[in-house]
Amino acid sequence: MADANAAHGSDDHADHTPPFFVRWFWSTNHKDIGTLYLIFAILAGIIGGGMSGLIRMELAEPGVTFLTYFTGGNVEAAYNFYNVLITYHGLIMIFFMVMPAMIGGFGNWFVPIMIGAPDMAFPRMNNISFWLYGASGILITLSLFVAGANGQLGFAGGWVLYPPLSASTANPGPAMDLLILSIHLAGASSILGAINFITTIFNMRAPGMTLHKMPLFAWSVLVTAFLLVLSLPVLAGAITMLLTDRNFGTSFFDAAGGGDPILYQHLFWFFGHPEVYILILPGFGIISHIVSTFSKKPIFGYLGMAYAMIAIGFVGFIVWAHHMYTVGLSVNMKAYFVAATMVIAVPTGIKIFSWIATMWGGSIDFKTPMLWAIGFIFLFTVGGVTGVVLANAGVDHYMHDTYYVVAHFHYVLSLGAVFAIFAGWYYWFSKMTGWEYREWLGAVHFWIMFIGVNLIFFPQHFLGLQGMPRRYVDYPEAFAQWNNVSTMGYGVTMVAMVVFAICMFDAFFIYRKKAVANPWGEGATTLEWTLPSPPPFHQFNELPRFDRGDAKAF
Amino acid sequence: MKKLFGATSKLVTGIGVWAAFAPITLAGAQITPGGVGMQPANSATAEEVQFFHNVILMPIITVICIFVLALLIWVILRYNSKANPTPRKFSHNTLIEVLWTGLPIMVLLVIALFSFDLLYTEDVTPDGKQVVVRGDGQTVDFVFANDFPASRLVARPEHLQVLVDDGSGARTLSSRTDYSTEGFGEPEIAVTLSAPPPAGAHVIMRGGRSVDHRGDVTLAPTMTLKITGSRWYWNYAYPDFGDFDFIANMAAKEDTTPELYLREVDNRVVVPVGETIRIAVTANDVIHAWALPAFAIKIDAVPGRTNEAWFKADREGVFYGQCSEICGIRHAFMPIAVEVVSRPAFEAWIDEQRALAGMEPMFETDNVKLAQGFAASAAAE
Repeated sequence: MADANAAHGSDDHADHTPPFFVRWFWSTNHKDIGTLYLIFAILAGIIGGGMSGLIRMELAEPGVTFLTYFTGGNVEAAYNFYNVLITYHGLIMIFFMVMPAMIGGFGNWFVPIMIGAPDMAFPRMNNISFWLYGASGILITLSLFVAGANGQLGFAGGWVLYPPLSASTANPGPAMDLLILSIHLAGASSILGAINFITTIFNMRAPGMTLHKMPLFAWSVLVTAFLLVLSLPVLAGAITMLLTDRNFGTSFFDAAGGGDPILYQHLFWFFGHPEVYILILPGFGIISHIVSTFSKKPIFGYLGMAYAMIAIGFVGFIVWAHHMYTVGLSVNMKAYFVAATMVIAVPTGIKIFSWIATMWGGSIDFKTPMLWAIGFIFLFTVGGVTGVVLANAGVDHYMHDTYYVVAHFHYVLSLGAVFAIFAGWYYWFSKMTGWEYREWLGAVHFWIMFIGVNLIFFPQHFLGLQGMPRRYVDYPEAFAQWNNVSTMGYGVTMVAMVVFAICMFDAFFIYRKKAVANPWGEGATTLEWTLPSPPPFHQFNELPRFDRGDAKAF
Repeated sequence: MKKLFGATSKLVTGIGVWAAFAPITLAGAQITPGGVGMQPANSATAEEVQFFHNVILMPIITVICIFVLALLIWVILRYNSKANPTPRKFSHNTLIEVLWTGLPIMVLLVIALFSFDLLYTEDVTPDGKQVVVRGDGQTVDFVFANDFPASRLVARPEHLQVLVDDGSGARTLSSRTDYSTEGFGEPEIAVTLSAPPPAGAHVIMRGGRSVDHRGDVTLAPTMTLKITGSRWYWNYAYPDFGDFDFIANMAAKEDTTPELYLREVDNRVVVPVGETIRIAVTANDVIHAWALPAFAIKIDAVPGRTNEAWFKADREGVFYGQCSEICGIRHAFMPIAVEVVSRPAFEAWIDEQRALAGMEPMFETDNVKLAQGFAASAAAE
């Protein structure tokens, strides 16, 4: 593999980049498109994170006293604004922050490099994928500023867009239609991206790199891409039916016309449950590499790890109705979904234990990415076990739609997926930008954020057990204490985000330390570390080979 | 299975393990400020939910988290680059991989056994039947007509309970010493008491498959409560008592206490204590959800559908819940308040409501009975 690097040194054309507009708007380069996705995700993260700030500020104390600042003292408008915030916070964080960061950003950047490919299979389709996302982002932003219900701006019915609340009777304004179009475009973008990844991974692996020698991050993106291709068309169908219900007089989901609102929920969650694995699987891949790199050990149970992801992806398609235990399913159906859901705990457990076994016997360096990875493993475990609790329909009848659920999915997503994104960001930052960051700033960011997010979300388990329903703008006084703690946790998390901003500003403008090709040493064995930082505009003009006796399983 | 785990749960409940998790109760308010546990249970089903959560699930998930945390701390301390400069290179260990696949499956199986038991208790509306016979001081042979559908026949000893009430309260007889039975699974079950009950005493036979985790047969519903969610209030109808209905709006801030604000309503639903209540829930605009944590009930109110659930209150009192499916701008302001009262007080309330709806009284409620009912109700609160 060392000669892959040398091959680049001698390639004069590798760094010949097109002019600015052509490079960033007509991009066909997987690394540039990855960078665009990451910038997009950061912007969306700032907006979505800001919205969660408004939510937490409102919930700091009982009574609606904060959001009224934004509505000129109009309390009813503040109620609506709160519902708008929770709706768009969810949609933005899922569709416009985690997905673009994990799949569009890290996936585009590192899947081709890790499998030894010069670029993605369909570079121009890659470009349209990104710009569809851009258009989708514009549409969702527009929908915030047009009429929804009650003459208020934006759609205010939760990210799941359940009819009849999202139907034209309850939400006559165009906000919902723009939202549907936005999700259509985001879905189309993701499907195109997924086709691109599947084709790339199946056809463009370096000679000798069999699927069973492929790095786990590429595996995770492959499984994710299949989930996207299989689940998103169902969502597209559901929201198209919603669109025709709203505009063309059909009644798929309108009981008065012979339809059924629950049909929407089945279709939505047939997408929605694989979606949560879409959000977390690439994170699994990232964490595997980081744990292996900093333990200076090969990943424990490589095949088990790969097939655990496939198992999670497969089972993820047959558990959707555990989101619907209270809608009035028959008891036998619930029993099936209880059993199927609990099965997921097994491959997930295999992954957790394999990461720990990878560290076992290693020689661990606690660099910033490793801190995030260890934090991820623990917090994902906490989120995972509360998932086992919620899998039991008998208990879910108590927990459903309470803050216990909010705590659960933020532990696996906000503290799971987001921690994995930060882990990947710090792990690959020098590779992507060519600059080093200051280790201690990254570590401070981690520790403050670790404390902050736990302060936000751990007390929400208590609120849920006490019965506090989610999506409530105001709550009884007895819930005040833990809500207050939760809001303070948000403050701590914001401090962490400021430290992150400082760390990045420092890396680009003050510290300015040039990154080496492989800053992590012997443990970093995947192909990206054989390239200079940042990699040349085109890499692998001469393909790295794995079929000449130096084959290496990751 | 039911028997095995019913017995286990009773045993553990008996030891009182779960008392440690039971939150402190405030009079009239089920939420404990700063509380970390579930709201106090007011039905056998809710008790079983809490047992399952507090005694089975919580310890298991706590142990798993502590175990993972301990492993992480161990590798951090033992295998950091200072303590262990040379990494080992192993990447497989078949035994440990089989173990960490097999053991979680075992744990999940244990969880599943309790889980299914609970799920079927919650979701199958009880159909238990009660037969009352007056003893004449001599007869020891009684008959319980086993006229259930084939899948719901009284087929095992735990499906049948025999009680004797000699005027000083019903006493459950022991199937081991007090009576013998014959004919489980057949059209008639013969119950033979070992001693004749006193003349005038009532022999009460309760049979059915709907046995709660305490071992009591839960009887079929005595009434149906029809609940309709609307933006943003609940409508309650009593089809068994003339189908009168009323609307429950959230009580205004000045009409209630600060503790109960956002939970109290202007017209509470009234149901009798100790009786199985069937609820039929629907909505007429968007989806809502009717939730009552003290009874571990949450059921969506969906336009075009009628969802069924049931509860049986242990104690009298007022119990609160809140709408649990986002329904628009005032989602947080359509609470649920259920007042559980004694049978006489319930009948008096029914007649009062019927009078308001222009109907004749349904129960012969004389003033003495009425006063007794309300006094009992007040005492219970």
